[in-house]
Amino acid sequence: MPDKPVPDNDPIVTKSYAAHYMIAVTLLTASLLWALWDEAFGMRPWKAYQHEWKQRYTAFLKSASSKSDVSQKEVEGSSDYQKLKQDLDQATQQATPHVRDLQKQIGDLSAKILAVQSVFTDRRAYVNALTYQIETNPSSKQSIQKDLDKYKAQTATVEYPDGSKQPYNFEQLEETYNSLKDQRAKLNAELGDTLKPVTQAKAALDEYVNDHMVDLTPAQIVGLEKKTEDLDPSIQQINVAEANIVDRCESCHMGAREPVKLTAASMSEKGAKAPDDFAKAFVSHPNPALLQVHDPDKFGCSPCHQGNGRATTSIEKAHGNYEHWLWPLYTKQNLEAGCQTCHAADMMLVSGDVGWTISKGKDLFRQRGCMGCHRYEGYDKEPEELQSLNQQIKQLEGERRDNTKQSAYLMKRADAAESNDEANKLNDEAVGLRVANSKIDGRLQQIDFRAHSLMQDAKKVGPNLKDARLKLNKNWIPVWLKKPSEFRPGTKMPNFRLTDAQIQAISAYIWQSGFTDSLPHQKPGNADHGKELFETRGCLACHSIGEGDDLQGGTFSANLTRVGEKANYDYLVRWIHNARERTRPYCPYEKKDIGPEDYAKKNLPYVFDLAHSKCPNDGHELQVQNMTVMPSLRLSVEDAQDIATYLLTQKKQEPSTYADASFMDDPKLKDEGQKWIRHYGCAGCHEISGMEDEGRIGTELTFEGSKPIERLDFALFTEGAERGKEPITNPEDLARLPEGPAKAPWYDHKGFFEHKLAEPEIYDKGMVKSETEALRMPNLHLAKDQVQALTTFLLGSQESGLPANYQYRPQDTRRDIQEGWWIVTKYNCVGCHQFFPGQDSSLMKMKKYQDADWKEQLPPKLYTEGARVNPEWLRRFLANPSLSDTDTNRNGVRAYLKVRMPTFSLSDDEQRKLVRFFQALSQQPLPYIPQSVPTLTSKETEMARSLFSSTAAPCLKCHATGDAQHDAHATAPNFLLAKERLKPDWVERWITDPQAISPGTSMPSGLFNHVNGQWVFAGPTPPSFQGYTQDHTKLLVDYIFQLTPEEQRRVASSMGRSTASNSAPASKKPSVGATRHALPHSGASAGGSR
Amino acid sequence: MDWRQLWEISSAPDNVPIVGLIPLLAFYIYLAWKQAHANDQLITQLEADPAMAKTHHRKTWPFKPGWQKEVHVWPFLLRIEFLAAIIVTIILMIWSITLNAPLEEPANPNLTMNPAKAPWYFLGLQEMLVYFDPWIAGVVMPTLIIVGLMVIPYIDTNPMGSGYYTWKQRRFSISTFLFGFVILWIAMIIIGTFIRGPGWQWFWPGQTWDHNRLIYEVNRDLPDLFGIASNWGKAIFGAIVVGGYFALGGFAVFSLFRRYMPKDFARMSILQFSITQAFLLIMLALPLKMMLRLLWHIKYVWITPWFNV
Repeated sequence: MPDKPVPDNDPIVTKSYAAHYMIAVTLLTASLLWALWDEAFGMRPWKAYQHEWKQRYTAFLKSASSKSDVSQKEVEGSSDYQKLKQDLDQATQQATPHVRDLQKQIGDLSAKILAVQSVFTDRRAYVNALTYQIETNPSSKQSIQKDLDKYKAQTATVEYPDGSKQPYNFEQLEETYNSLKDQRAKLNAELGDTLKPVTQAKAALDEYVNDHMVDLTPAQIVGLEKKTEDLDPSIQQINVAEANIVDRCESCHMGAREPVKLTAASMSEKGAKAPDDFAKAFVSHPNPALLQVHDPDKFGCSPCHQGNGRATTSIEKAHGNYEHWLWPLYTKQNLEAGCQTCHAADMMLVSGDVGWTISKGKDLFRQRGCMGCHRYEGYDKEPEELQSLNQQIKQLEGERRDNTKQSAYLMKRADAAESNDEANKLNDEAVGLRVANSKIDGRLQQIDFRAHSLMQDAKKVGPNLKDARLKLNKNWIPVWLKKPSEFRPGTKMPNFRLTDAQIQAISAYIWQSGFTDSLPHQKPGNADHGKELFETRGCLACHSIGEGDDLQGGTFSANLTRVGEKANYDYLVRWIHNARERTRPYCPYEKKDIGPEDYAKKNLPYVFDLAHSKCPNDGHELQVQNMTVMPSLRLSVEDAQDIATYLLTQKKQEPSTYADASFMDDPKLKDEGQKWIRHYGCAGCHEISGMEDEGRIGTELTFEGSKPIERLDFALFTEGAERGKEPITNPEDLARLPEGPAKAPWYDHKGFFEHKLAEPEIYDKGMVKSETEALRMPNLHLAKDQVQALTTFLLGSQESGLPANYQYRPQDTRRDIQEGWWIVTKYNCVGCHQFFPGQDSSLMKMKKYQDADWKEQLPPKLYTEGARVNPEWLRRFLANPSLSDTDTNRNGVRAYLKVRMPTFSLSDDEQRKLVRFFQALSQQPLPYIPQSVPTLTSKETEMARSLFSSTAAPCLKCHATGDAQHDAHATAPNFLLAKERLKPDWVERWITDPQAISPGTSMPSGLFNHVNGQWVFAGPTPPSFQGYTQDHTKLLVDYIFQLTPEEQRRVASSMGRSTASNSAPASKKPSVGATRHALPHSGASAGGSR
Repeated sequence: MDWRQLWEISSAPDNVPIVGLIPLLAFYIYLAWKQAHANDQLITQLEADPAMAKTHHRKTWPFKPGWQKEVHVWPFLLRIEFLAAIIVTIILMIWSITLNAPLEEPANPNLTMNPAKAPWYFLGLQEMLVYFDPWIAGVVMPTLIIVGLMVIPYIDTNPMGSGYYTWKQRRFSISTFLFGFVILWIAMIIIGTFIRGPGWQWFWPGQTWDHNRLIYEVNRDLPDLFGIASNWGKAIFGAIVVGGYFALGGFAVFSLFRRYMPKDFARMSILQFSITQAFLLIMLALPLKMMLRLLWHIKYVWITPWFNV
C-alpha cells in the first residue's frame, strides 16, 4: 500500500487480532444470550401474560375475599344458618365422647397390631422361603418339611406396648394378628357411623352457604388463590383429537373460564386510566351460559372464534391476523359467524331468538330474495325438489309405457309359443310387468301428493308478473324499474342500474307476456271504512304505511304509501280478498299456463283450487295458487272493496300523470326484453311467463366464506384494499358500510362482502366492460346493520373442518323447533304473535297498541301455546282459523279481536311442522294423548257453578258466550271451545297465575290462594264449600270442560246477562279446503275457481 | 414510483439473501480486483528485477528485510478463518432470531400462487424456462452447467494465480467466471426476484405488481419471420442458423484466443481447446437468446418435433 506508512515488522506475523476477537466474541456471546432470551421469552409472549395474570388475579382475589368475608358474615347472620349451625354443634357434642373413646381404642389396637406385625412378618417370610424350597426340591422335600414344622412349632415372644410379653407359636401368631385387625376394622366402621350425623350436618351447612352466597365463598376463593400461586408458566392447551382441535388460547386468556366474573376494569393495574392489553386479555368469557352448552373441553375456542389456535409466538399469529392464515379471528361485529360452523342448518339458534346478528343475516338472506340468484344449501329447497319430482314423473311414465308395450308383445309371443311351458313363462313375465305398472302408478300418486304439498310451500319473493297487465298502471312500470327505492324506500326490489333501453325492453316483455284475461268488475267501496279495516284487521303486522317518522307497521312486506299510483282497483280487490287466487294455473310438467280451453277439451269445469289441482292434460299437480306468503284474511268482498278503495287513495301523484309508455306494446322489444330478464335473473324472485324454469344466475354461497381470498375479485382495488383505501365515493352507499369508510386494510373476506353489499357494482369501478359483462348484482339498499348481518352470515358460510357429529343436526324436539321457526319466519307470524319473552311483534310496537284499550286487542301471546292447546285442534285451527266452513268472516277463537288470524293455506307438511313446533317449544310430549276429565257429581256441579258465576269472579263478564250483544264487549274466548281446544292441566295453571303464562293479560291474577296445600278461591266461598278438601281450581276446570251451551246460557241469564246463544261456536268437523270462501256477489267462488 | 411495492419485495424473508447479495457481490468483486491489481503491480516489478525476486517477501508492501516469504498456516491463516467463522455465526444467529421461516398457508391444490417462484437459488433456472423449452432449460442446460464445472480442472492448464489474486495472469478464467456467475446466474436471480411479477410478467422495480395487468406481446419463431412454414423447412433452417452460430463463433473464438492469449493457447491440446470453445459458445448463447426474446420477441430459433432452441 503505497499511501500508508510501511510497518517495520511483517504485519502477517506480528499483527494482533486480540481486539477483533474481543469484539467478535462479545457479539457472539450477546447474540447467544439474545437467542436464549428469545427462546425462553421472545417466542413465548404468553409467559409475560401468565406472569401478569398471577399478580393481578391474586390482587383481585384478595379484594374479592374481603368482600366475600362480608357477605359470608351476612349469610351467617341469618336464622336458617344459625339453625343449621346449631344442628351441627349438637350433633358434634353428642358424638364427641363416643368418638373420643373409639379413637383411643383404635389407637391402642394399632399399637398392638404393630407389635405383632413386626414379629409375624419376619417369621412368615422364613416360612414362605422354606415352602418355596419344598415346592422346588422334590428330592429333599421331606427333610425340609420337617424343618418347617419344627420352625412353626417354635414360639416367638411378642412384646406389647404396655410392657407385657407373650410367647406364640406360628399358628397362634397368625391368628392373633388377624383377629386384631378385624377388631380394628369393626371399630373404624363404628366410628364412621357415629360421625355420620356430624358430617351430614356439616354438608347441609356448607350447602346452605354455597347456595346463599352471591359470589364465591371465602373457602373457594382461598382455593383459587392457591391455584394461582401454584401456577407454573406453561402452555394451557385444549386438545380434542377427535375433531383435530388444538387450542392454546387460554395460555394468555387465563380468565376465560374462571368461576368469577372478571372485567377489563377489575383486571387493570391500580391507577391505570384505561385497561391495557393484559387486562383485556384476562376478562371472563362474556357469555358463560354459551360456554356451558359448548364445553370448551369438547369444542375448543377456534371452531367458534377462528384464529390460529396452535400459534403461541405472537398475538397476531395466534389471532390469525396475518397474511397466510386463512381463518382470522372474527371481529366483534361478526362474532356470530362462528355459530355457522355447526348451526348452518338452524334458522333459530336459541329458544329466545332475539337480537342475534346471525339469525338476522339468515332471515335477510331469505326475505330479501338473495336465494333467488344464489343457491345456498338448505334455503329455498322446494323448487329443486319439485324439479327432481318432475324428472321422476317423466322417468316413471316412460317406464310404464315401455312396460305396457313389452307386456303386449310378450302376450303375443305367448300366443304363438311352441310349448305350454314357454307360453306360461311368457305369460308370467307379462303379468309381472303389469303388476310393476300398478306399483308405478302408486309411486306416481305419492309423487303427486308430495308435489301438491311442495307447490303450496314454494314461494317467490316478488309478485307474479304474469298478472302485470291486470294489476299495474302500465306507465308506472318503467318508472319503477328505473330505481325502485326511489318510489318505495325499503322495498325488497333492488336497484338494478338498468339503462333506459333495458328498461324499455324489460317492461315490454313483461307487459306483452302477461295474462290478458278479464277480471270481474268491482263496485267502488267506502274508503273510510276501508281505512279502519286496514288499520285494525292486522294488515299492518306485515305492511307499513306512511314515510319517515309517520311510518306505521311492519317491514316484512311492501310499504303501501304510494300504492294508489300503481295498482288496478279490480285486481287489488281480488288480491286483498284472497291473494292466493291465481289468474291461470301453471303446469310445471308441461311448462305452460293452463287456460279454460284446456279444461274444455276434457269437458271439465274451469275450476282450480287446492282441492282441484290436477292438470286436465296430464293429471299431474298444478300450481293453483299465487306463490306469495300473503294470506287470506277471510274478508267479505265488500270489506275487500273498502280496503282497496282506501289504498287507492294512497298516492303522491295521480296515476294519469305518469309519462306515456306505449313503447311497451312494441313487439320488437320483446326478445330483447327476454334477454335482459334472463341476464338479470328476474325470474329468481318473480313468476314470469316463459321463464319459470330459469336457473339461478349468481354464484353459490354455501361455502363463500371459505373461498380463497384470491378467488374474490377485488378487481382494480386489490392494491387499494391492501393499503386501506376506500373506493366507494357515493355517500348513500358509503353510509351502508357498517364501520364507515375504510381506515385500515380491508383485503379480506369481511371487507369484500361489506363493500360488495354496500355497493355491488364497486368492483366494476374503473373497468371498461360491456353491458353484458358488467356485474349484475343489484343494489339492495341495505342499512348498516343489515350489511353487517349479511356479512356475518357469509363469513360463517364455511366448509366445516369439524367431524359430522359436531354439526347441530338434532333429531328430537329441537329439530321440530328448527323446522317450525323456519315456517314462523316465512309467514311472519312474529308480526302479530310473541313466541318468546323479549321478541316484540310488529303490532306491539305500533302507536295504536300502546293505548290500554287497544292493548287488549293485541293477538294472543304464544309463549305456552303447545301446553295450552290440543295439537289436533291446533292443526285444524291452522288449516282454518275461522273454525267454520260457512261463517268464515271472523276469528274462530277470539271473535272479539279486530285483528284477524288469517288463513295461510299451509300445506299438510307445514301444518304438521307448526304443531310439532308448538309442542316442542312447550316441551309437550308427542303423540298427544288427551287427559280424561272426571265427570262431576251434581253436588260438585252445583259447587262449581257457584264459583263460575261468583260475583267475585264473573267469568262470563269478559268471556264470549256466543251472544252477539254480549260478545261485542267480550275480551276472552268462549268457554265452549275449551273442551276441544285446551289441555285441562294448562287451564288449571292458567287460572291460578295467568301473568306467569302471558304477562300483561287482562285475565285477573290472584283468583285462587294456595292455602295448606289446597287451592282455594280467593273471593267469598259459597257455603257448600265447607269441608271441601279438593282444589277449587280443579273443580272449576272440570266444570269448564263439561260446560254445555245450555248450562252456559243458564248461568249467563242467572247473572243477569242476556241469553247465550244455543250453538257451539266451533264446527266439530275438521274443515277441508280451507281457502275457499264464497264471493257471493259475482256468483263465482273464490280460491281460484271460476 | 411505488415504494411500498419495492419494500414488500425486498423485505420478504425469502428475498433478504438476494438483497444482501447485491452489495456483498459488488464489495467482494471490488476487493478482489483491488488485491489483484496490487499483486499484478508486484509481479510486474519483480519480473523486471530478478535479483529482487529472489529475496522479496512477496507482499504488496515495499521490500523490507526480515519479512517472511512464507508463514505457517497455524496460526497465521487459521486465526483469521476462525474469526470469520465467529462473525458468520453471529450473522446467522441474528438472522435466525429476527427472520422466521416464511411459512405460508396450507397448500391448496386448487389454487396456484401467482407469481409462483422457485427458491431464490433456483430462480436462474426458472428464468431460463422463459427462453428455452423445458427440455433444454430444465435438463440439458443444468447438465451442461454441472459438466462444465467438472471439466474446469481439465481444461484450465494455466498454472499461475494459485494462492493469490491476480488479473493479468488469469484474464480469461476470471472474465469467463464473472460472465458465468454474475451475468448468467446472479443477474437472472435478481430478475426473477425483483422483475418478475404476477403472470411472470416483466415489472420494472417500483412498478406496482398488478394482478390484473394485461400486456400485448406476440412471440414468433425465427423461421416464421423468414416465411418458412413446413416442419422440415423449419428444422433445416434452424439447424443452419444454430450450426452457423457455432461455426462462426468457433472461428471467432479460435482467432481471438490465438491472438490475445497465445500462451494459454499454446499450452492447450486440441481436445482441451475445443471443449473450452464449445462451453464458451453455449454460455454466450444464453444472453444472446435472452436478447432475441426480450428485444425482438423471437421465441425459438430451431424448431424440431423433439426439442426447440
